[in-house]
Amino acid sequence: MGSERVEEYLEAIFKRQAKETPVSTSALAEDLKVSLPAVTDMMKRLQDSGFIEYEPNKGVSLTGEGRQKAVSIVRRHRLWERFLTDILGLKWDKAHEEACRLEHATSPETEDRLASLIGDADTCPHGHPIPDKDGNVPEQGVRPLSDFKSRQKVCISAIAREDAVVLRKVEKLGLKPGSVVSIDSKGSGGSMKLKFGDRKLVVEGDIAEDLLATPFVGEEREVSAEEAVPISALRAGESAVVKSYAGGRGMLGRCLSMGFTPGSQVRMIENYRRGPILVSVCGSEVALGREIAGRIMVSRKRP
Amino acid sequence: MASDDDAPVVALAGLPNVGKSTVFNLLTGLSQHVGNWPGKTIEQKTGVLHDNGLTIQLVDLPGTYSLTANSVEEQIARDYLVKEKPDLVVAVLNAASMERSLYLVAELIELAPRLVIALNMTDVARQEGTKVDAKALEAALNITVVPMVASRNQGVKDLVKVIGQEYSQPTVARVVRHIESGSETEADISHIARLLTDEDTAPYPRHWAATKLLEGDEQINRLLRERVSEARWSEIDSFLKDRESAAIVIAGLRFDWVRKILLTAQEKPPIGQVSITERLDRAATHPLFGLIILLMVMGLAFAVVYGIGVPVQQFLQVSVVERMQALVFGEMTFLPGWLQGLLGDGILGGVGMVLTFVPILFLFFVAWGFLEDVGYTARVAFVTDRYMHAIGLHGKSSLPLMLGFGCNVPAVMGTRIIESRRARLLTVLVAPLIPCTGRMAVIAVIAAALFGGRAILVTVGVIALSLVVLALLGFFLNRFVLGGKRAALMMELPLYHSPSPRTIGLGAWQRTAAFIKRAGTVILIVSIVVWALSYFPGGSIEESYLADIGRWLEPVGKLMGLNWQAMVALLTSFVAKENTIATLGVLLGQNEAGLNEALRAMLTPAAGIAFLVAQVLFVPCAATVACIRQETGSWRWMAFSLGLQLVLSLGLAIVVFQVAKLVGVGV
Repeated sequence: MGSERVEEYLEAIFKRQAKETPVSTSALAEDLKVSLPAVTDMMKRLQDSGFIEYEPNKGVSLTGEGRQKAVSIVRRHRLWERFLTDILGLKWDKAHEEACRLEHATSPETEDRLASLIGDADTCPHGHPIPDKDGNVPEQGVRPLSDFKSRQKVCISAIAREDAVVLRKVEKLGLKPGSVVSIDSKGSGGSMKLKFGDRKLVVEGDIAEDLLATPFVGEEREVSAEEAVPISALRAGESAVVKSYAGGRGMLGRCLSMGFTPGSQVRMIENYRRGPILVSVCGSEVALGREIAGRIMVSRKRP
Repeated sequence: MASDDDAPVVALAGLPNVGKSTVFNLLTGLSQHVGNWPGKTIEQKTGVLHDNGLTIQLVDLPGTYSLTANSVEEQIARDYLVKEKPDLVVAVLNAASMERSLYLVAELIELAPRLVIALNMTDVARQEGTKVDAKALEAALNITVVPMVASRNQGVKDLVKVIGQEYSQPTVARVVRHIESGSETEADISHIARLLTDEDTAPYPRHWAATKLLEGDEQINRLLRERVSEARWSEIDSFLKDRESAAIVIAGLRFDWVRKILLTAQEKPPIGQVSITERLDRAATHPLFGLIILLMVMGLAFAVVYGIGVPVQQFLQVSVVERMQALVFGEMTFLPGWLQGLLGDGILGGVGMVLTFVPILFLFFVAWGFLEDVGYTARVAFVTDRYMHAIGLHGKSSLPLMLGFGCNVPAVMGTRIIESRRARLLTVLVAPLIPCTGRMAVIAVIAAALFGGRAILVTVGVIALSLVVLALLGFFLNRFVLGGKRAALMMELPLYHSPSPRTIGLGAWQRTAAFIKRAGTVILIVSIVVWALSYFPGGSIEESYLADIGRWLEPVGKLMGLNWQAMVALLTSFVAKENTIATLGVLLGQNEAGLNEALRAMLTPAAGIAFLVAQVLFVPCAATVACIRQETGSWRWMAFSLGLQLVLSLGLAIVVFQVAKLVGVGV
């Protein structure tokens, strides 16, 4: 079997690891749409190459080397998806399929060009973080939508399963990463009634499990379909209102005490391609590194 | 005075950059003690205020934005308030940044039953077009407010009077109205508080601890997880898991409270008006122009510092130290030879020579203090961030590194401004590679002696090399030793304001005094030890232990074209970098003119460059090493730093010399 197949497997294990470690072989068979014996066969091979650790009844986990390889594939995949949707205008599901093929035939040089062309985007169109060149994957701190309770307000941050059917359904609902919805009620089979701006949506149980979200807190009147963007997307001179904070709690406390709370007004003072940004908040200037700037979600104020 | 210990204690709390230290300095004058908070390498300042028969102990708490344990400073500040229970807390606020200042007050009122507000920087606020009505603020908060301009010594008397009044007529302790009362969060906090007992949370108030748990405070979380039974904890924990966004809600409540108060107490400039600070920053923080401005500012600062400082240093060296040495050796012949040597070579030649650099250092600290006080240094951190990124550091690291050009000791100590321990350690490890005043002096003298007209070129080259090594070292240490994860930058850029000579002067004096204190202790002891090694057993340096060590090291020296005298000169730079010249003077010829010729005879151009390379990268001086030990809190990292620089300096010097020999240049 070629290296393409190996890469596919590593990628699938890596994505599954976010939910469960070790990963069961049956879950892999489902994700990759292959038979269970084929998976077991491949696992032995991958273990011999030193990419995974495999214990027949428990499951598999990536070794350091395996993780490195998987992350680099994931990076290329997500860069391609950005390119295909943002620049070529492909649909979500189509972009995913194309990226699956292109990721295996991408030279490091092409990868660098893609990254610089895409610039500031730090997630794929489905909301998953693009790992950086050194293999660090930003932590997101997200939970499935189905885990939230009625009357909670949440910010959709990603679509967990990049399956053509799921993607098409989500796209049809009009939801995308950054959308803010409030949960009206929960129905049978895990289905959920959502309020999204002025519209009411019903989300099936399996889709609710595949939508990843973070708790959202903001003022009532600002909950609408308008898009939340990371603060680093603002251009110098643009004003915005802070909507939510995406990602782990690591820097949350500091962001809050500096005045980045939902509802507070911010204005971008300086934003050049790389390097820190300078934002005016609470009457003074605050310098933010790109890592944090990508997590503070704001919505632009219309002039 | 013994009675001072029983005097009431007043703690100063406030955000960073609000002039808290200036207020502290005004209240205590020079009667203050600078030390460390127990177990932490964060500076603790305490002092005593005497006024009209009133004696008060003052404690300066670290500058913090909140009282949630996001940083060591915040942890120290709140633990002090809870555990030491100061009699009164003075909250120093920045009138130009009221929202953030009052956010801290919202936290303080929960922990400090008696509070007074010093509303500082009212001049800066006015300059930015913001007016704060102290009376309205006082009424809204029900806390005494004293408007101040600490940098101009305005309002200090009023503050002292208010502090005095708080004691003479004890007011009824305020009933704390919790920030969340009336909101949905109130039920959540009460629920958690009911699950806890007062013993569980001691010494912290139960209600406060419950709030912090909800806010996701890791320190309180850890503390309670240890104390509370597993069953109860799992109940609390699952309750918290369902309320992950509570931190945002609570912060929102505090800001709502703040904004409500400011509605009546603050007048803001019309929206759309671009402040002076912002206009200046368009240039000062621009990736290109900002860098050009930075280089110009630094160039000017160094020109002033060296322009004034070097003649003074020369004067002190020639007219004071050398004259005293002549006195010791010429006139005091009644003393035994070893005592003459100890006084003349050991003490005067070691510590005395180091002290001649004090004026340069002082000027350097004045220039630095000026840039700090007007608010420019934060811009330096911003502009350099993108470059420091490449070597695993962030912008804040560039501030101590720049201090290093004056002296490595304050540079290592200055790393305290960096919050992340990893970034701090990395900065401490690379800081000694910054060529300090002492090293520059040695390079200048030797380059001038060996290379005449091309001395400037050689000097600049050697300094540049040292900076390149610094960058590469930072890159590799970050990548391979410290594991390559970088802390994110988040930093407030203070408003520009006109400098206060008092603040600058006092800051420069404190830094210089710390240096002199070190010179009187560490450097003095090491000077004497090295002198003893250079005197005994033979009575002259040629027949001393030091010479033995030098001769023993000669095989290594040969690899870089150096004889034993040069190796000894390198070794003595461990006491203080300037000693290299003094040692060469002793070993080769006494006066300066003689030294130049002797140097030319001793070192070929290639060996000369190798010597300069070794000198500039050599292990840091004893005072810096002591500081590294103190700041890293580890003998291992100190030894690592020493070993690393030893290998680097000798290794590179050998490479330089061997390459020159191979190519046949300058041998």
